[in-house]
Amino acid sequence: MKLLRAWTTLTSLTFRRLLWSASTMMVLLPLTGCLLFILWRFHNRPDLATRDFRDFSEFLILIFASIVVPICALAFGTASVGGDREDRTLVFLLVRPIPRALVLLAKFTATLPLVLGLVVGSYWLYCRLAGEVGQVAFGLYLPALIYMTLAYVCLFHLFAVAFRHSTIIALIYALFMELLLGNIPGIAKRVAVNYYGRSIMYAAGANEGLPTPDPRWFEPLSVDAASWALVGIAFGGLLLALVIFSRREYRDLT
Amino acid sequence: MHHAVGSSTLLSFEHVTKFYGPVIGINDVSCRVGPGITGLLGANGAGKSTLIKLASGQLRPTQGTVLIGQHQAWSTAAKHHLGYSPDLNSFYEEMTGREFVYTMARLHGFSRGEARQRTEYALEEVGMADRARRHLAGYSHGMRQRIKLAQTLVHDPWLLLLDEPLAGIDPGGRREISELLLKLAGQGKTLLISSHILVEIEQLSSSIIMMSRGRIVACGTIAEVRNLMQFRPLVVEIVAEPARRLAALLAENPDVQGVEVRDSVLIVRTRNPSKFFDQIGQLVCAHGIEVLRLQTLDGGADAVFEYLQQGRP
Repeated sequence: MKLLRAWTTLTSLTFRRLLWSASTMMVLLPLTGCLLFILWRFHNRPDLATRDFRDFSEFLILIFASIVVPICALAFGTASVGGDREDRTLVFLLVRPIPRALVLLAKFTATLPLVLGLVVGSYWLYCRLAGEVGQVAFGLYLPALIYMTLAYVCLFHLFAVAFRHSTIIALIYALFMELLLGNIPGIAKRVAVNYYGRSIMYAAGANEGLPTPDPRWFEPLSVDAASWALVGIAFGGLLLALVIFSRREYRDLT
Repeated sequence: MHHAVGSSTLLSFEHVTKFYGPVIGINDVSCRVGPGITGLLGANGAGKSTLIKLASGQLRPTQGTVLIGQHQAWSTAAKHHLGYSPDLNSFYEEMTGREFVYTMARLHGFSRGEARQRTEYALEEVGMADRARRHLAGYSHGMRQRIKLAQTLVHDPWLLLLDEPLAGIDPGGRREISELLLKLAGQGKTLLISSHILVEIEQLSSSIIMMSRGRIVACGTIAEVRNLMQFRPLVVEIVAEPARRLAALLAENPDVQGVEVRDSVLIVRTRNPSKFFDQIGQLVCAHGIEVLRLQTLDGGADAVFEYLQQGRP
């Protein structure tokens, strides 16, 4: 009972600190930019032609899979542990009678709903603002975005426990692996998490008229394979992070 | 080397070695720290921080074991018994002092009511109850030290590891905190206080551990450490009449390394202070020399520490 109370306190503390952190501001700025774009491009357009659905889907795949989900996950995923490391407050948590694995799980448990809330909330808002195309798109792409969010949050927690300046490392990773390698032809893009998310999104949109991308540039995986890959990245990343965090000596704490 | 401090063993280091990559942090350290206040002394880089981090379970020994009671210091079970005040100024700055201490109590699993009660008690103990509504970001260094101390007390541990707890506190505050530390020691708690200010430690501690270059160079009660010093070279100032006569007699003593005469003042360097003090009484009585004043010139803890450091490889 005591351990549960301690764990929920840590989860709630982490959630509150993340919510009122600079990360929230960092995430809200691009989200607001996208919102303004949506308002300008899609609002008050009554026609529901295939062209609109395609435009909106491509916008969602580009913005959410490549930018919004990674940025939200990066901002909060690295800050949940990395923030405590950089602020040198982690020592106050590690000398409490909470097993280290549970400390990390509390951090993860606080971060995931926050990132999911921002991703799903902004996605829902954009879909609402886009009118009928948005309503069609919402249910189609939501599972892919949830899988991606889960994978990214776990991955960036792994970065946070493994590297001291995890935000910088994660930014380099996001730019190099996700944006660059994730968009070049060939199988190199399979190192990027967003490749699997986009595979699911393209497959989901195909029935509504979203064209399959040119296979020379993007050859999607099957929905099952891509979903399993994202789940594997998520659980593998989290498990590795738990092992590292449980065993690692953080010499930079004091 | 095995050092015994205090009667009841609570915190023990058994042949502990810690490497940081190729660099050795502490080397084959064994000691036991029991109830009361034990001062941990050493210059920067002596290994104090490594010892404290091992004891607080932040580091794991490369070799040997660190035990808090029966538990490995690294283990979660040991953390129930440990209160740790780090030598850093980082907090959750957006919190008030009260919120911070309360949160730390909650992280020990106490219910809201109990955590509130314990928070008030801890704040009262460190003299911060009336100032705990302010945000930590606006606290002075001394207030931060008190809040750090409060969060170590909030779960009533029997082992307190305090890294430089008096640094940055004004003289009045030092007296209050010192009284609190002595009170905690009186309650049977074990306090290991790290400091590089020897006078501070001398006034508080019943026992001391002196570290240099990753090793314990002296350990025990202050009296025991003083006994270690009996073969330490010492400079003694003697005001005597006739001074020159006493100087001549002392020059014949094989334990006296040198004598300097300045009017009626003798500056004597001895390599065996214990024997020297035994003999000088007999000498002045036998020759009818009047000694007006006798005092050691470098007998403070700083000189002792310097000497102990020099003696190590």
